[in-house]
Amino acid sequence: MIALAFRDIRVRRGPREVLRVPVLNVAQGETIAVLGPNGAGKSTLLLAGALLLDLAAGDIALFGERALDGRSRLRQRRLTATVFQESALLDMSARRNIETALALHSVPRADRRGRADQWLSRLGVAHLANASPHTLSGGEAQRVALARAFAIQPRLLFLDEPFSSLDPGTRAELVGELRSLLADGSTAALFVTHDLSEAQLLADRVAVLLDGDLAQHDTVEVVWGRPASPAVAAFLGYALVEPTQLPAAVTEAASIPANAGTVAIRPTAVRLSIDRTEIGSAYRGDASIVAVQGAHGRGRLLLDLGEARIAAELPVEEIRSFKVGGIVKIEIDPGGLVSW
Amino acid sequence: MDLIVDAVAEAWRLLRTGDNDIYGITLRTAAITGTSTLVALLIGLPLGLGLALARVPGQRSFIALANAGTGTPPVVAGLLVSIMLWRSGPLGGLGLIYTPAAIVIAQALIAAPLIVAITAAAVMALPPALHLQIRAMGANQRQYLWLIAREARLPLLVAIMAGFGAVVSEVGASMMVGGNLAGETRVLTTAAVLEVSKGQFGSALALGFILLAFILVIAAALTIVQQRARRR
Repeated sequence: MIALAFRDIRVRRGPREVLRVPVLNVAQGETIAVLGPNGAGKSTLLLAGALLLDLAAGDIALFGERALDGRSRLRQRRLTATVFQESALLDMSARRNIETALALHSVPRADRRGRADQWLSRLGVAHLANASPHTLSGGEAQRVALARAFAIQPRLLFLDEPFSSLDPGTRAELVGELRSLLADGSTAALFVTHDLSEAQLLADRVAVLLDGDLAQHDTVEVVWGRPASPAVAAFLGYALVEPTQLPAAVTEAASIPANAGTVAIRPTAVRLSIDRTEIGSAYRGDASIVAVQGAHGRGRLLLDLGEARIAAELPVEEIRSFKVGGIVKIEIDPGGLVSW
Repeated sequence: MDLIVDAVAEAWRLLRTGDNDIYGITLRTAAITGTSTLVALLIGLPLGLGLALARVPGQRSFIALANAGTGTPPVVAGLLVSIMLWRSGPLGGLGLIYTPAAIVIAQALIAAPLIVAITAAAVMALPPALHLQIRAMGANQRQYLWLIAREARLPLLVAIMAGFGAVVSEVGASMMVGGNLAGETRVLTTAAVLEVSKGQFGSALALGFILLAFILVIAAALTIVQQRARRR
């Protein structure tokens, strides 16, 4: 069963068309992560799916029923729950936030408190049932927001970067919690994130949005291993080079076609052979460090290899001793090259 | 100086002896201002919510109009209502001129723009994500408006206080449309004006004290409600 179907949708913000999606389906029980840079249209796609904004064209269907007039949209919206980046809790206690959501879904008054407490407990915030949102930390507020979302037992869940403002530890915890909550397969989810590792952990499939267009839509493994275009590859952190900029040994080992115009090198395919022992790759050689970067626990070295600028992704602790201008011995796994 | 001392003594005597006229005027003031504030609230709250939430052409102009309306001089409001309710006016047939109802209409006209403007500002100050979240929670239009008004309840109480403050302290409109008729349309402010014109400063001061006490009691009550709402 298709939980959510987008068909030829177009969304405008003022005079500008900000989203164009020909076809995108979320199956019952499936989690799709929507990835893309800032301004790519990820949140717009989520709002469109949650029936919270009007389309310029196209159709959206929830559980096989097209969202047409206001009444049917409201009925369909009540099959869903949405958690935003900011927890957007109402100015009432954590428990009453959940009870209010349950009341909007016509849950009998007698059942509301028990269900609210059950979900607060499940998300580890039962002790905060009477707390006002203003007194909660970001992580606690997001736990309450998740409890509120799951308490109504949605068939379709929308998550708009729900963990992006949290510290790494809380974020990792909540990703784990969400993973276990989605594991029973009864809830489909559309999950907007910047973070590929979150997508890898939570999603069955990934949709990459670039500049309002659905650039690729496939399993995490396929998107990560075979990006559909240089633009998708660049977004995923691949280095883009011309084949002629690479040492011939690399292009030969990777069987890059002679007529290829662009080669993308996955950052994890570039390894540092620090101890200078061979690790069985196709190419070994020296590269000079151009920049030392890092975020979210991952480090990245930008390297000049001949005429090409490539990147090597490593744990931060492994690259902190490197300095710009230094020379490192690298190896390139040809399996990490994609060409067009 | 003697004048002031005598006036204070007279005020105290009137209050202590429970002058029937003064207490009648006080009760009438409470009834009229309470009704005016309620009417202004019933008009101003939905209008303020509508102005803040409706995405219609000219929305900013309407908000600017409401903001300008907060400065409506009571005399102008009184004049407009007088013209409308005058025997030969468009609504003269209703026979409302020089009645408490006329004062309620004029005072509501003074207070409503304040309530509209403060309500609209309060709702527009709510985080945009909150509007989306409430709709995403499955609220219908009525539930959405109720939850939005609830979220803005602290500034909405300020709107009520401002509206009440405007009507309880005005004198020009009440005088024009009510006529300051003894036992019928005389309220604390118009009575105080009359007493001063007669040189009865003690009575005027007593009325002033009662007016201040009345305002303090209402403001304190609304503040308690506001603080309770804040703690929830």
